[in-house]
Parts: sequence; C-alpha cells; structure tokens
Amino acid sequence: MKKSAFTLAAASTLAFAIQVAYAQDKPKPPPAWHQGKPPALADSKLAPVAGKMTETAAADIPISKLKLPKGFKAEIWATGMVGARAMTMNEDQTKMWVGTRGMGRIYEVSNEGDKRTHKVLAEKLTQPTSVYANGALYVFAIDKVLRYDNAAKGAAGEPVDMTKAFNLPPEQHHNWRYVRVGADKKLYVPFGAPCNICEPPSKEYAQIRRYNMDGSGMEVIATGVRNTQGFDWHPKTGELWFTDHGRDWMGDKGPEDELNRLSKPGQNFGYPYCHAKGIVDPDVAKGKKDACKDVTLPVTTMGPHAAVMGIHFYTGTMFPKEYQGVAFIARKGSWNRSKKFGYDVVTVKAGPDGKGAKITPFATGFMDPKDDSFWGRPAYIAQMKDGSLLISDEQLGAIYRITYQK
Amino acid sequence: MVQLLAGRWAALLTALFLSGAFAQVEERVKACAVCHGADGISTLAGIPSLAAQPRIFLENYLVMTREGIRGAEVMQGLLKGVPDKEIVALALHFSKLPEKFPQGKTDPALFKRGKQLAANNRCGSCHLPDFRGREQMPRLAGQREEFLAEVMLAYRQNRRPGGDTIMAASLYGIPEADFKALAHYFSRLK
Repeated sequence: MKKSAFTLAAASTLAFAIQVAYAQDKPKPPPAWHQGKPPALADSKLAPVAGKMTETAAADIPISKLKLPKGFKAEIWATGMVGARAMTMNEDQTKMWVGTRGMGRIYEVSNEGDKRTHKVLAEKLTQPTSVYANGALYVFAIDKVLRYDNAAKGAAGEPVDMTKAFNLPPEQHHNWRYVRVGADKKLYVPFGAPCNICEPPSKEYAQIRRYNMDGSGMEVIATGVRNTQGFDWHPKTGELWFTDHGRDWMGDKGPEDELNRLSKPGQNFGYPYCHAKGIVDPDVAKGKKDACKDVTLPVTTMGPHAAVMGIHFYTGTMFPKEYQGVAFIARKGSWNRSKKFGYDVVTVKAGPDGKGAKITPFATGFMDPKDDSFWGRPAYIAQMKDGSLLISDEQLGAIYRITYQK
Repeated sequence: MVQLLAGRWAALLTALFLSGAFAQVEERVKACAVCHGADGISTLAGIPSLAAQPRIFLENYLVMTREGIRGAEVMQGLLKGVPDKEIVALALHFSKLPEKFPQGKTDPALFKRGKQLAANNRCGSCHLPDFRGREQMPRLAGQREEFLAEVMLAYRQNRRPGGDTIMAASLYGIPEADFKALAHYFSRLK
C-alpha cells in the first residue's frame, strides 16, 4: 500500500505542474489533531453555519423582526459591508472602520449625519480587524499588523508594516483577533487555541497579550483562554471583562461559553483542561485530578455554543438609568447544537466584582425557534456619543442603531 | 433553460434577466467553460469540476477569487470587478449542472484506505456521508483526484485563506500520503 501511495505521489508531481507545493511540505507532521468528537456524535451532521459573502440591500433586511424592550427602537444605520464584525471610530465618530473575516477587507465608513457611505480601505488581508487610537488606525490580520498614520479624518496612503514586532504565531484557526487599546495605552491582543480541543502546539496560543503601541514590551496577561472574541473594561473598576467560546462536540448542553473577569494579570482561565464553571475536559484532562485547580472561573456562563462575541459596558445617558454600567453582549449563535441557541444581544447585570450576574435578553428575533431559521448574526456593539448603540450583523454585512425614547 | 427557470430560483433569474445581467452571465459561463468544461466537468489536470457543487460554496469561492484572496491568477483576472449579482447567477448555473463525473480506474487498496481515513476524520460530518457537500462546504464526490489532494495540502499549509479556518484545523497533522488516499477515494465516488 505504501508503495502505491508513493507511486501515485511521484506521478502527480511530474504530471501536474500546478501542484507546486510539495517541496514546501515538511516531512515530519505534528501529531494528529484532537478533534474531540466522541463516538456517540460520530454520525452527527452539525456543521458551521454558512456566511454570506455578497452584499445585502437595506430593503432585504427584515429589521422589523427585531424585538426590543419597551421604548427601544431599531433602525438600519449602514449596509453593504459584507461580513461586518468589530467596529472602531475616530474621536468625533465621523469615521468608522469595520473589519471582516473571509472578505479580507477593512471598510471605512463615513458617518455623514443622516446617511452613511463607505469605501474599502484595505483588502486581500487574512481576516483583518482594526482599532483606532490617537490619530492612527492599527490593522491586525492573522498574519500581519499594519498602521495607518494620520487617520483622524480618514485613513489613506500606504500603511507602515509592523508585523515583525508582534511575533504572530503561524496557526490560523481561532486566530482572528479582537483588538483594543486600554487606558494604559497598550494594545490588547488575543491568540486563540488553534483547534477545538488540544494541548496547543506551543505556548503562543490560548492567551491574551498586551503590547506597547509599537509592538514592544509584550506581556501575557491571561492564559487558558480558548477563543475570546471580545472584551471591554469595567467602567468602575477598570478591570478587563472578556467573552470566551466553549469547546465543541460535547453535546447540546455545553460546556457553556463564558464571561470572564481579569482581576489580576496572569490569571489562568482553564483551557484546555477546565471549562465553564468547572467541567473537566473528557479528552485532554482524563484522570487529571487538579484540572480546575487555580483556574479563575467565569463571572457567568453564557449559554451552550452561544458564540459570545462583543461586550460593551453601557455608559451613555440615552437609555434608562437601570442600563448604566450594564454589559451588552452579542451572541452570534450556535452551530454545534441540535437546536439553534443565541442569535441575540443580551445584557449582563453584575456587581463590580462579578457577583450576582443576571442575563436578560435585549435584542431578539434574529432567529426563529419555531423552525430553527435565522436571518442575522449580531457580532459587535459600539456606543455613539448620543448614547445610542450600534450592533454589527456579520451575516448581512449591516449595522443597526438602537435608540430609546420614553 | 426551462430546467434552469424551474423552481424557487425562477424569481431570482427573472430579476437578473430584467437587470440586463443575464446576457453577461452567459458570456462569462463560456469563459469558465474553457477550463472547467462546458458541462462543468473538468478534463484538465489541476482544474476542478464545478458541476453539482453547492451554490453557496461556489458563490463564496467566486467572491474570494474576485477579492484576490483565493484561486488562480487567471481566475482573479477573469473575475475582477464582476458584480455580486453576476456571481450569484454564475454560482447558481454551475450548481444546477448534472453530476456526470467520469469514472477513472480505481486502486482498490488506496480506495479502501481513503474510505477508512474519511471515516476516522469524520469528513462526512460536514461534507455529508455521500460527500455531495452542502451550503458553504464543497462536494468532494467525483471531484478530480489531483485537485483534491492539492487543496487539502494547501489548507494544511495555510495557503488557502479566507472563509473559516476550521478546514485547516481539521487537516492539521494529517500526512500528505493520507491526502492522496482521501483524494483517490472521494474522486471515485459518484
């Protein structure tokens, strides 16, 4: 059998000039990947949900299906940014930059009062996101870091390539990054575990780091983080709160996604051994008695396979008082579950120490539990100066605005 | 044409026709056929068959190629600036072409090994047990063997960006010889 495989390989290499890659293939592959799918789920046909890579016109967005608490209203704020994810804005909120995954684009949106226009600022990147700070726009792709200087009135020209300074590891899975700049003027950058469940191939994964703005002074501030897709700083304590996706293929019940609080740098959040509020992993922590020892457990779990994304602590004045300091969290929605879960925006009200967390649905109707269908996948939340909230919808490449009137 | 206009796509195609995109799409299909075959069945090494591929997979692939993220340079050139509505029509066209895949000679040992590897790696979970694919996940059954082997290798070497990275993660650590066996197996399925 070995011989036939070899003959075939040799023949194909000779015959097909299009296959240029064999020379690059390393002879010694790393050990087999832990897919973590148990025999009981071997015949499961659950698969990631298809995204949409073509533009959706405002008229084709069923915004009227969104359900909000009394007094709140949703409107379509911007459309046509295929695969829209994290949003970042300049000081006066006249410019916004929106990143994507498969589209490889950073969009620049011009907010012109009553209307929005957009252009493609950067393209052909591997799953780029961006963050604006102090007049510059920082673009993070999985394998690249770029900086546009003088971006306060719109980014232009050739960016500075800062990739080298950041030491980005090679694996791509779960390595789309949500990036923010903290009050300490440092860049906060997560590095996901490049698998469903595994001992990461090196120590560069499953962590959150911070860097000086030029990429120097790297510190790992949190470990055991499987795949955080969003974070924000608590308005009272200044502590970092972050979302994290639970692993797949352990059934419909979870382990649930997490909302975590970093109370001191260096905390371990459990991956790959300890999930949610202390579930020991059946694949990689077998027989490990201290799997959850010294693990910082979440403030609250956020639902099974919910895909918790962006988090934003509300600090505006437009919404009623009870929303002050409350965390708004987008749940993009599940795939690894027999019935869909999430596809909504919820609020989490908790004490500044994370105690007494209570989850309440805020924006629902993206998904219809009656037939398990959905039309939108809320991803990130941004706050406007007037206190209204923007929600990006990755599925339809749109941004919705939520306002409140008594 | 009658067959194309049947069913739930009729409205979409009518809209495309009225918008004037249809004639352009017919021209574009001819350009595709030069390499991919008039019936969407490729006879050229390294060039994939497009017939009976899931519509969303084709749509995504065409968009990513237009964006210069994936695909051969010649395809990026052909698709440069092609509007979404034409891409939607092209994807629909090829997804509807019948599965008339040619049957190459089968190596029974390699086929058996490929079948076992496909089961072990649970390829059928996403691509479905008969490997006809669905939504954004391509059909593997009947696809050209050398093309499949190369694509798997490209994924594993992070040379196939765009979309979701879960495919690259699923192939992590699988040796190239296994890709050959998997490709042989998938290509011999109807």
